[in-house]
Order: sequence, then C-alpha cells, then structure tokens
Amino acid sequence: MGVSFTIDPRSGVPIYVQLVEQVKRSVAIGALGAGERLPTVKQLAVDLTVNPNTVARAYRDLEREGVIETSPGRGSFVSTDEPAARRAVADVSGASFEAAVREAKSIGLSRADVAAIVDRLLQRWYGTEASS
Amino acid sequence: MNPIEVQNLRKSYGSFDAVADLSLSVAAGSVCGLLGPNGAGKSSTFKCLTGLARPTSGSISIAGGPPRAAMFADVAFVPERSALYENLTVGDHLTIARGSFPRYDERRANKMLDIFSLAEKKRVRKLSKGQRAVVGLAIAFAMRPTIMILDEPASGLDPIHQRAVLDLIIEAAANGAAVLFSSHNVGQVERAADRIAIVKNGRLVVDGDLDELREREKIVEAVFPAGPEERRFAADARVRTVEVIGNVLRLHTLRDTDALVAELERAGATSVTVQPQNLESLFFAAVEQPRPVTLEAD
Repeated sequence: MGVSFTIDPRSGVPIYVQLVEQVKRSVAIGALGAGERLPTVKQLAVDLTVNPNTVARAYRDLEREGVIETSPGRGSFVSTDEPAARRAVADVSGASFEAAVREAKSIGLSRADVAAIVDRLLQRWYGTEASS
Repeated sequence: MNPIEVQNLRKSYGSFDAVADLSLSVAAGSVCGLLGPNGAGKSSTFKCLTGLARPTSGSISIAGGPPRAAMFADVAFVPERSALYENLTVGDHLTIARGSFPRYDERRANKMLDIFSLAEKKRVRKLSKGQRAVVGLAIAFAMRPTIMILDEPASGLDPIHQRAVLDLIIEAAANGAAVLFSSHNVGQVERAADRIAIVKNGRLVVDGDLDELREREKIVEAVFPAGPEERRFAADARVRTVEVIGNVLRLHTLRDTDALVAELERAGATSVTVQPQNLESLFFAAVEQPRPVTLEAD
C-alpha cells in the first residue's frame, strides 16, 4: 500500500472519524487508487497502534458510504465505482468548508462578509470568471 | 455472556470499601482501559477477578464461571509487580510457564525476549523494574490467552517498549482476546482501548465506548457581551460542568451538544465554539479533580 495514515489520539476527535477522513482524503487525491487493497483491520490497528474495533468501525462506515468494498476472505478494496470516489472528494472539502464557515459565524461575521471572503478566494484560485 | 463480567462488586477491608459498587464487562476482541486515581479500587478489582481476594458481595464471571484455578489456561494475569524467583534465570521462569499452560508457545516467548532485549540466562535478582515486568508479560503473551488482565503493564518501560506492549495488546484483541488493563498513562489508554472505565472511590464514574464519549462530550464556549446567565444550565442533565470566565460561559456537555449550541445562540450568545475533549480532560472532569496547582501558583 502506497499511503500511510496519521492518527492523533489526543486530539479528542474520535479515532474512527479521523481514519474515515484520511482514507477519503487518500482516495480523493489518488494516493489510493480504485480497486486498491487496504490493509487488514489487524494490520492497520498494529501499524497505527489503535484499537482493532475502532479500525473495523471506520471500515464499516467507509463501506456503508461506498468508498470501499469488502469481500469476505479477500479483504477490503477501494471502490471501483467512480461516483463513490467523487463523493469522497466532496466530503473531504465539504468538511473543511463547514469548519471554516462555522468558525466565521462564531466570531460574528455576517453572511455577506463570508460570501465576500469566498469570492476573493475563488478569484485568487480559479481566476476571474471570464478567464475560468 | 462476555469473557469478563463483574456485577455490583464490593470488596471491603474492615470498614473501608476498596470497591464500593462496580459493574463492568469486557467482550471478546475488546480492550477496556481502567483508569482512576491511586486507591480508587483498580487493583482490588483485579484481585477479585483473579481469585486472589474474595468479594464481599456481588458476582464475577470470568471465562464462563467464577474465578477458579482451571481458568488460568485461558486467563493471563500480570499484576503490577510479578512474583518472581530471585535466584532463578529468566529462562527458568519460561520453563516453568511451559509446563503450566497448555497453549504455551515457545516461539512467542522467545520473540518477546527479543522485542524487549532480555537475555534468557539473566538472573531475576539482576533485572531492572522494567525487565521484571517483561518476564511476566512474556509469559502472558506466550500462553495465547483468551482473557488478559494487566495491571499497569507498561510501567517501568521506556517509551519504545511501552509502545511495543500496546501493539501486543492490540494484536491480542485483534485475535479475539478480551483485554482489561489499567494504566496511569492516559495516552496509552486513548490508543489501545475501545472501552474505558473510570473509577473513583470504588465506583465507576464513566463506563463506555471511548469514541462515543469523545463524540458526545464537548467543551462549548459561548460569549454573552451582557454577561452570561450561569444558573440557566446549572441543573441541566445534558451538562457536566458550568463555568463563567468573564463574559464567557463554558459548558462541559455530556450529550446533545448541537441542541445546546442552538439554545445558546437563541439566548443571545454572539459567539459559540465547540471543542472536542481528549481522554485526559474527560478523566479530570470525571474524577472531579481540578488539575493540581503548581508550586508557584497563587
């Protein structure tokens, strides 16, 4: 497997949530390709020094969301279904956007303030509308 | 029935209740981390579980029955200080173990000595505290137990070998063992355990799935420019603690954080932030002990 995951057990974020996010991110950026085999629950638990039930729970969630597929006796694989991978990408950036917007709201920015920030950022990274 | 089941355990020494009322169960393949201040009743619980002490009341089922000699084919118990023969070598102890446990695996025992760089011919009286612990652990992991009860299994070891112990616990659980271990190292429990039990004064104050606790219990900080109303949440069952710091209301929520956030916003909070809690802060909150002051703090 060409990717490695990093878990921060002290962050307070449930470890299975961190794992789900990391697998999605790896799928999103292509570090984990369609059909690629994931380590077994036991392997990954020992590699990361985290509880095996926690890893199993992350795999169950990923399977339910269609990001990975598990076939009994063969192991877990990244889904070969394109839309599932695209959803994973959307999930990863959706979560960062949500955190940023929530933060902006909590420090008292108005909807218009946030929209202005987003416009500026879009312009910077995607160019002006005419040239995009 | 789970491999480890404790119900309403009480263990008194004279008029002192070392364990007042404790119930807990550990499923096969699960790792339960037992946390608590010194004297909370962790070691007494282990003694009752392994038959070294008789419960004053309550019931214990381990490997499908009450504590009994025959269960030690399946149950590995590593006490905080293993009883070792001072004049025998490490290898002698392994030889004794080989004759005592039906599933004892010599290859695993030798691998344990390799992992922990311990020579077989070394005499016990020449071992450090950590090396003594390794002898007990080597035997425990070599006997392929289905139940492991480990009292401070990584104490006295350096960080590298502490991590090795955690990996061994994780591997044992992945192979289906039920593991109950105590530790003062919250970081270790945070990694290896899927369940935690926090004891205080012989009672469980927290018992549950660790990720669920992390998901449920949060720190919410709400800013009220006109000053927060503390009393409003003081008797709220969804909240463990309420603090007011200037015009900030700080809640430790037990559940329903999203609903509480909405209520705070409706009540006029100009800013509401939610932070996750790690096990260390959950632990301090659960044992209701403020962080110790430093020597120079006022």
